[in-house]
Amino acid sequence: MAREQVTIGIMGIDQHENGAIAVSRFLREAQMEVSYAGLFNTPDTLVDKALAGEADVIGVSCHSWEFLHYLPELMRRLKDSGRDIPVVVGGSVLTPADRARLAELGVAACFGAGADAEQIVDTIRRLARPGVTRREAEAPR
Amino acid sequence: MQPKTRSGIPLKPFYAASDLPGGRTEETPGNYPFTRGRLQATRSAGGWIQRELSGEGSPKQSNAQLRYLIEQGQTGIDVIGDAPTMSMTDPDHPLARPAAGTQGVSACRKLDYLEMFEGIDLGSVSVSSSIPAVFSIAGLVHAARQAGVAPDRLRGSTIQVPLYCEDCSYRYHLPVGFRTRLAADAVAYCATRMPRFHAFLEDSYFFSESGLNSVEEMALAFVEIRHILRRLLAMGVPVDQFGSRIAILLNCSMDLYEEIAKIRATRRLFARMMHDEFGANDPRSQSVVITCHTSGLSLTAQQPANNIVRGAVQAMALVMAGVQAIEISAFDEAYRTPSREAHLVGLRTQQIIDLESGIGQVADPFGGSYFMESLTAEMERRIWAMVTEIEAAGPIDRLVEQGYFRAILHAAMERHGQDVSRGRAHLVGVNVHAIPEDDDRLLRAVSEMKFEPCEEHVERIVAFRASRDAARHQACLRRALDCARSESGNLLEVTIDAFEAGATMGEIAGVFRVGCGQAYDPFGRLPPPL
Repeated sequence: MAREQVTIGIMGIDQHENGAIAVSRFLREAQMEVSYAGLFNTPDTLVDKALAGEADVIGVSCHSWEFLHYLPELMRRLKDSGRDIPVVVGGSVLTPADRARLAELGVAACFGAGADAEQIVDTIRRLARPGVTRREAEAPR
Repeated sequence: MQPKTRSGIPLKPFYAASDLPGGRTEETPGNYPFTRGRLQATRSAGGWIQRELSGEGSPKQSNAQLRYLIEQGQTGIDVIGDAPTMSMTDPDHPLARPAAGTQGVSACRKLDYLEMFEGIDLGSVSVSSSIPAVFSIAGLVHAARQAGVAPDRLRGSTIQVPLYCEDCSYRYHLPVGFRTRLAADAVAYCATRMPRFHAFLEDSYFFSESGLNSVEEMALAFVEIRHILRRLLAMGVPVDQFGSRIAILLNCSMDLYEEIAKIRATRRLFARMMHDEFGANDPRSQSVVITCHTSGLSLTAQQPANNIVRGAVQAMALVMAGVQAIEISAFDEAYRTPSREAHLVGLRTQQIIDLESGIGQVADPFGGSYFMESLTAEMERRIWAMVTEIEAAGPIDRLVEQGYFRAILHAAMERHGQDVSRGRAHLVGVNVHAIPEDDDRLLRAVSEMKFEPCEEHVERIVAFRASRDAARHQACLRRALDCARSESGNLLEVTIDAFEAGATMGEIAGVFRVGCGQAYDPFGRLPPPL
C-alpha cells in the first residue's frame, strides 16, 4: 500500500523546532513518509520542497507570529502551482482567532496546543487519502 | 513502581541517617566547596536579583518596557533579542522583516543600544543579555560611554553559547571553532576592563528547553564551560583573572527537590573542578554565581493561570537553593511573547516570596537533610559521569561537527514529546485534568493581543545605512575581516570599533563568516559589503 507523503517545515527565522520534530516522529511511527524541510523556509522553498517530494500534505509548524505574514503567500503560491495539496498548520501560538483566519485562507486544518498525536495523525491521513489513492492506482502491478 | 526524580534517580519512601553520604557534613555556607552557597548570609548581597526577561519591538519601545519594570521594583534587567537579533541578522534582511521586534528587541547597531538603555543608571543596575555576546557587550560599552559610566562599574552578564547554538534555539551560522574564539575573546577583554561584569555566562537554560533532564543539562553545561575555559588558558589568560566572572544561567523545572540538589551539586562540582583541575586559588573563582529562569517548557497554553503556580513553585525552589538572580517565565509564554501583565505577575511572585514568605531568610535550609544530601551526592555523581563520558568520546569541536550533541538534544525533544503525549509525565490541564477549550477562558484574552513587526524601526535602519561615512565603515569592516582571518587580535575589540563606525551586527557577523571561509549571508540574499 502506498504511504502518505508529508512535507513538514518551519518558515522565516523562527527557530523553535520541538513541535516539528515531535510531529514528524509520530507521523513516521504511524507509517507515513515524512520529508523534513527544516528551518528558514519561505513560501517558495516550502512549496518547491513539497512538490519535489510529491507531498500529499504540507505541514507548517509555527512558534512565532511570522505565520501571519507567510501563510497567505504560501496558499497563493500553492494555488499558482496548480496542485491542490492540503496545508495543515500547527503551533501553540495559534489562537481561536488565528484558526478562523487560517481557515478563511483555505488551510485544511489547524492544531493548537490542545491537539493530541492521534487527532493529528487521523486528520493528516484523511487529508492525504486522495493523493495516496491516486498513487496506488498508478503504481505498477 | 518505584518513584523517580525527573532525571530518573530512584526515590525511597523516606531517608535516614544511613543515607547521608560520608556521614554528617560540617560544611557551612560561604566556604569551599560551596555546596551550601556562595555566601554565609543570603542577605549580605541584598538578596537575589529579581527580573523578567524582556525586550520587545524597537529599542525605544524596549526602553519603555525596561523602565516600567524597574518602576515596579525589578532590581536588574535582562534583555532578549528578537529571532533575527539572536541569529546575528539585521532587521531589514528579507527573512527578518516579518519577525522584527516580535519576540524580543530588535538591536543591530550602536544607536539601538543607546536608545534601549537611555535613562537607565548603568552604574547601578545589573544589565544582563541573551543577545549574541560580542554585540551585546559592544552595545553596552557604547551606552555606558555615552552615559559617562566607566566600564569597570558595569555589572551584569551575557550568555556564551558556542557549542550548542546551531543545534537548538538560535543559529549564528559560524563554525564552532570561531564561536569558541568569540566567547573566549569576549571573556578575556572583559576580565581586565569590566571586572564586575560576568562575560562568561554559561547558559544551560536555552538548550535544556529541548527537554533535557537535569543531569544532562548540567553535564552539557560543564562540558561547554570547560571548553571555553581551556581556550582561555591556552590564550595565556590566568585562571583567577576570569574565574570569578563565570556564572551559570540554568533552568528550573517542576521537580523541586531535584532542582535544589542540582544547584547544590553544581556549586560543589564547580568548586572542585576550579580548585583541583584548573588551579584557581581565589575563592571567588571557585564559587560560581548561579542565575535561573523558571522553565518555559513546563508552561502550558491550556489553563494558563496554572502557569502562575508553576512559576511560584519553581521560584521557591530557586530561593531555597540560594541563587543570585531569578526570572520567572511569564505565564503567557507558551502562546505569545510575554505581555506586560504576565511580566508583572512574574515580578510580583518573586516579591511575594521575598517579602512575605520568609523563604530566603536562611541560607541553604535543606543543608544536612538526609534526603537532600543524598540526592545532591547522586546528582553530583551522575553529572560528572556524563561529563567524563562526553569528553572521552572525542575532541569537543569534532563532536559538535559530527552532530553528537544534536543527537542528544533531538532525542530529548522526542522523549519530552512522548512523555507528555503518552502521559508518562503529568502535565495538569494537558494530559490530566484537561477541560474543553470553550471552558478554558481564564487569562486567555492576552493571547489574542499580538503586536506587529516594528516596520518603522526597520525603515530607520535602511535610512541609516545610506547615511554612513562609507570609507570609515568599509575600513572597520575590513579590520573585522582581517581579525577573523588572522586568528590574532580580539574580536570584541574590533566589534566595538565597528559599531562606532556605523557597522551593523549583520555586517560584522557576515564578514566574520567570510573570514571563516563561509558565505557572508547564510540565507543567500545579501551581497557582501566588501
